Amino acid sequence: MASYLPLLLSAVFAVAAPVSARRLPPHLATWLLSAGGLVAAAASSASLGLLALDALAQNPLLAARGQWSGAVLRQHAPFAVPIGVLATVAVGVLAARFLHTAGRRLAAMVDAHRLAAALPGAGNELSVLDSGDRQAFAVPGRPGRIAVTTGLLRSLDGAQRRALLAHERSHLRHGHHLHHTACQLAVAVNPLLRRLPAAVELATERWADEDAAAASSRDTVAGALTRAVTGNRLGTPAVVLAAAATGVLERIGALRRPAPRLAWWQLGVPAGLLLATAVAVAVAMRDTEQLFELAERGYLAGQR
Amino acid sequence: MAMRRAKGSLESEVLAALWAAEGPLTPGEVVEAIGGGLAYTTVQTILVRLHAKGAVAREQVGRAYSYTPVLDDAGLAADRMQALLDKGGDRVAVLRRFVGSLSPEDETALADLLARNRQDGRP
Repeated sequence: MASYLPLLLSAVFAVAAPVSARRLPPHLATWLLSAGGLVAAAASSASLGLLALDALAQNPLLAARGQWSGAVLRQHAPFAVPIGVLATVAVGVLAARFLHTAGRRLAAMVDAHRLAAALPGAGNELSVLDSGDRQAFAVPGRPGRIAVTTGLLRSLDGAQRRALLAHERSHLRHGHHLHHTACQLAVAVNPLLRRLPAAVELATERWADEDAAAASSRDTVAGALTRAVTGNRLGTPAVVLAAAATGVLERIGALRRPAPRLAWWQLGVPAGLLLATAVAVAVAMRDTEQLFELAERGYLAGQR
Repeated sequence: MAMRRAKGSLESEVLAALWAAEGPLTPGEVVEAIGGGLAYTTVQTILVRLHAKGAVAREQVGRAYSYTPVLDDAGLAADRMQALLDKGGDRVAVLRRFVGSLSPEDETALADLLARNRQDGRP
């Protein structure tokens, strides 16, 4: 049972964490999703790995090499053979997914660093792009850069421009792209966590909104956001536009309310889940260790 | 607003205000455009620094300077070439002499760019 518990608990975390994240102050929500997602992913991977190990170790060749009894393992294994095979295949597939995602993110990071260096206006934090479109984005790099189109700058007043710059600067200063990467890696090894990347994107946008509000006011940020989305020319794919608009509505709603305050249970419930997951992994590891001790004794008894 | 803001972020704010403006701005107009209660002298210092970096151009208007944002190097060079072409005279002749003076690499690059522009439907 302990072998499956981490898998089960990570599934509960996958549902609970995004719900908690919507109510938490955004910087805590971000950390909960990214760091928590990595813990849940590590736990489910460990659990699958143990199942695969139990299954592989029953192989007579491996058993002879490792000097344990495959028969004893088979007898005490906490699962039927097909599940062991399934777990072994899953470990292989998920490892490949992890490598693929890690490679993709690394390439994206290198691209971003190149772009940050190549953006016009080198030597300045701000790079202005001469375009009527209303766009703004932060490019991580050394140093990170903020790119804004003239179309967007001209549609905002002084306070809104300051809010916009503070928002993009927040992305760079707090390394929000690393939180995105963490969640994508977590999903790669545990597909149950598939709702995390979208949740962490919203959380980091909200985090940057709160930082922008601290540099101006909540109304200013809400106003700037409204300008940024309403003035966009068509030509952006409809699906992307719709997705962006959904997030923006929620963000504007959050800005219309006072800054969220921390309620401990909102952090406590998912944190407790993670702790239980970690304990379950530890128990599963101990069980496996005991099983192997038993199998080794079985092997020695067979030798006599 | 007595909030402390970092040097780089103040430069960004001034630059953003200049780009948002229709025409050149004097330091006083920049203070107004920012609307964040920055002192005149602070804005002036930032403008001088941005000018030293080549991020803004300035011209004397009465007793004060008036500032405009500057495109990046490539944009600047293209602007100058466009301005020279627009100055009048025989455009085709100017272009012919220009093309005649290009190195083989530049010629290939130019031909590629023109071909790509045509593909995009922008003659």
